[in-house]
Amino acid sequence: MSKLRTTGKIFIIILLVFILSGCMDQTEVDQLAYVVAIGLGKSEEDDNLVKITYIFANPESGTQAGGSGGDEPPQETISFSATDFITSRSLANAVIAKQVTYDLLRLIIVSEDFAKDEDFIRWIYDATKAMEIRRDIRLLVSQEEPSVFVQNNQPKLDTRPHQYFELMFNRGLNTGTVPPSKLNRFFRITEADANLFLSIYATTELNDDTKENKDPDNIAAGEFEFEGETNNTQFAGSAVFKEGIMIDTLTIEETRLAFLLSNVLQQPDEILTSLPDPFTDEHYLTVRIRRESNVDLKMNLDKTKPSILATIPISIEVMTNHGMTDFTDSEKIRQTLEKSFEDTLTEKFDELIKKTQEKYSTEPFGWSLVARKEFLTIPEWESFDWMKTYPNMEIHTDVRVDLEKFGRQTELPSLDEMRD
Amino acid sequence: MGEPKDKIGIKEYIAIALFMIGTKTTDDIPSMLFDSLQNAGWIAPIISGILAILPLFLLLHIAANYQDKSLIDIIYHIFGKFLGFLVLFFLWAIGFFYIVLDTATYTDIISTMYFVKTPAILIYATLMGVCAYGAKRGLEQIGSVSWSVLPYLQVSLFLSLILTIGQGNLGFLFPVFGPGEWDVLKESTMKISLYMDFLYLFMLFPFVKSTKDFKKGTWIAFFLILINLSITMVSYVMLFDYKSVMLLNYPYHETIRSISLGFLTNIETLFFPFWLIASFIKFAAYLYINIMLFGKLFKIEHFEYIMPAFATLIVFLGLLPESPTFAIFDLKAMVGNLASPLFFFLPIIMWTLAKFKGDLRK
Repeated sequence: MSKLRTTGKIFIIILLVFILSGCMDQTEVDQLAYVVAIGLGKSEEDDNLVKITYIFANPESGTQAGGSGGDEPPQETISFSATDFITSRSLANAVIAKQVTYDLLRLIIVSEDFAKDEDFIRWIYDATKAMEIRRDIRLLVSQEEPSVFVQNNQPKLDTRPHQYFELMFNRGLNTGTVPPSKLNRFFRITEADANLFLSIYATTELNDDTKENKDPDNIAAGEFEFEGETNNTQFAGSAVFKEGIMIDTLTIEETRLAFLLSNVLQQPDEILTSLPDPFTDEHYLTVRIRRESNVDLKMNLDKTKPSILATIPISIEVMTNHGMTDFTDSEKIRQTLEKSFEDTLTEKFDELIKKTQEKYSTEPFGWSLVARKEFLTIPEWESFDWMKTYPNMEIHTDVRVDLEKFGRQTELPSLDEMRD
Repeated sequence: MGEPKDKIGIKEYIAIALFMIGTKTTDDIPSMLFDSLQNAGWIAPIISGILAILPLFLLLHIAANYQDKSLIDIIYHIFGKFLGFLVLFFLWAIGFFYIVLDTATYTDIISTMYFVKTPAILIYATLMGVCAYGAKRGLEQIGSVSWSVLPYLQVSLFLSLILTIGQGNLGFLFPVFGPGEWDVLKESTMKISLYMDFLYLFMLFPFVKSTKDFKKGTWIAFFLILINLSITMVSYVMLFDYKSVMLLNYPYHETIRSISLGFLTNIETLFFPFWLIASFIKFAAYLYINIMLFGKLFKIEHFEYIMPAFATLIVFLGLLPESPTFAIFDLKAMVGNLASPLFFFLPIIMWTLAKFKGDLRK
């Protein structure tokens, strides 16, 4: 019996070794400082340094159970120069009391200046090395330095930073004003070297040179003029990356058009915009645009004269009618309306495609993925060289509009009768 | 204990086979395939699987003819004492070397992806400790544990697959033939060692309840493994595209770090424990078969007593290579190149010799 006991004791001790060895990496939740966003900017002093900015979330803020935690601010920010955002973790401990962790990192903010630098890619690849950084975090380009961005970004209502950013991005995706901009996608597109990557574009500073009376959709971050008492940060439009370098920005409208042309991006469910009314000159019709199904791309990729025919099925819901035309009256009016929408959209699509062909020489719509299906092997595809061929392609767009609803009450009183 | 007294059933046998071979898709084997085949990596398990049908078929034919004899006895019988010993010793050496490399890979995965601060030796020792304990418990125990946890692990793999494919893009699979049709064919042929472990599984032949069960089990396990391997590799390409997937060391672990389940983001912590259990069972089975072979070779009847010693040896050997991520990767590719022809030709030679001896009935 006693022999059994001794064996049992030894066994339990050995078992403890197995169980407890997992504790080597253990860290207590209240001993960690959770970084929600990292900012990367150029350092003024040295080319080999970057300016790191951290936003720490306070997990106790806003919870009922915290008790004394109620008075603490929801976030803490610091900025300093470091060689990269891995060493910065221990450097930060000069001021931050707890161990810095990237477990809950949701966002990397890059200054426009740094994103346009060709060395940017060297730093962003650090994210693939660190153990905790996930690939589904988002990349955001800010017009100003991230240190300024996070200081100015003081949301009044949704004060907890992780929640604020998540809500902001989700709304942006629903309305099609910002692209999804996942880090995984950035790496993938940069490595495949055929497409453009669209990143979220944001700023906390209002541009002074904003033109008066601009089309409200045709703006990017910093150009939206508003009054009132709220956070100054604007998330609008996208930053365009080619081969890992930022080359341009797209406005809200262009971002939405890119969404509509892409089969890869998840479609936003609420693109509200205004299109010209074919029956009156001075009024616009507010419409809700939705793509019905995938863009149908017919490609002819022989070397000499490659061409693409893109058929884009769109369904449109007319939400306002300032021209007060009676659309219920006849089929013919609706057909004219349909035709006019098709023409406007085709024109807009063509304009954006032309811009991508001439200015960027490749596209952000993920069309290269469809083109790949035409090839059997990767060497063939690589020698075709999408980036070289795309600018010379003949691209036609065929927009097919389906009119859906005309608002809750379809008919409006006749203006002529009322004002006679 | 010695050799198992009770026999295992078809369910347990299939489960063990799935653990031994099916788990390969979660370590660095996919990255090895993607390296040479780019986005066509997922075709390799299918092509080499079709090729593997021949040796499997011959082995089953031979095994069915020598009822109640394990592969070990059959090899002795066919090749004679001296040559048989050499062949078996070679098989054992490759198997042993492979266990060392594979456990080192798994230790590397755990220490680079999950437990960064824990020293590798501790992880390795824990892994081998658990596996040696499992192996020492014997085949029946390994079998019943495998069968009882298999559904959970398949469900967890299936869930990660659904999420990955849902978030992936089918377009990345094109161009279908990756580096070119001939390259795909050639490279896939070289990777037939994927199914090498079936050779070792045949050593369990006398411990499976009936010949019919063994036959049926082998084919079911074989096709399940083939499907598992291909589909998971398709899902990796669909999530990462070919350029990125070639850069990854451990695609499965990057995958579970990239996918999210609705509002739940860090779900790798959900999949990791399941994967750990699978690895424990995998190496327990590996170790058991390998040591059994060793015991047979050197006539050690109670071979389970040398398991702790071998487990310790494996830990120290596995820790030898510097920067394991690369070193082990290269060594594994080397062993694979050696094992591929062995797996393909050994059954053919055995079958021919048996035919000559007139042992094979019609």
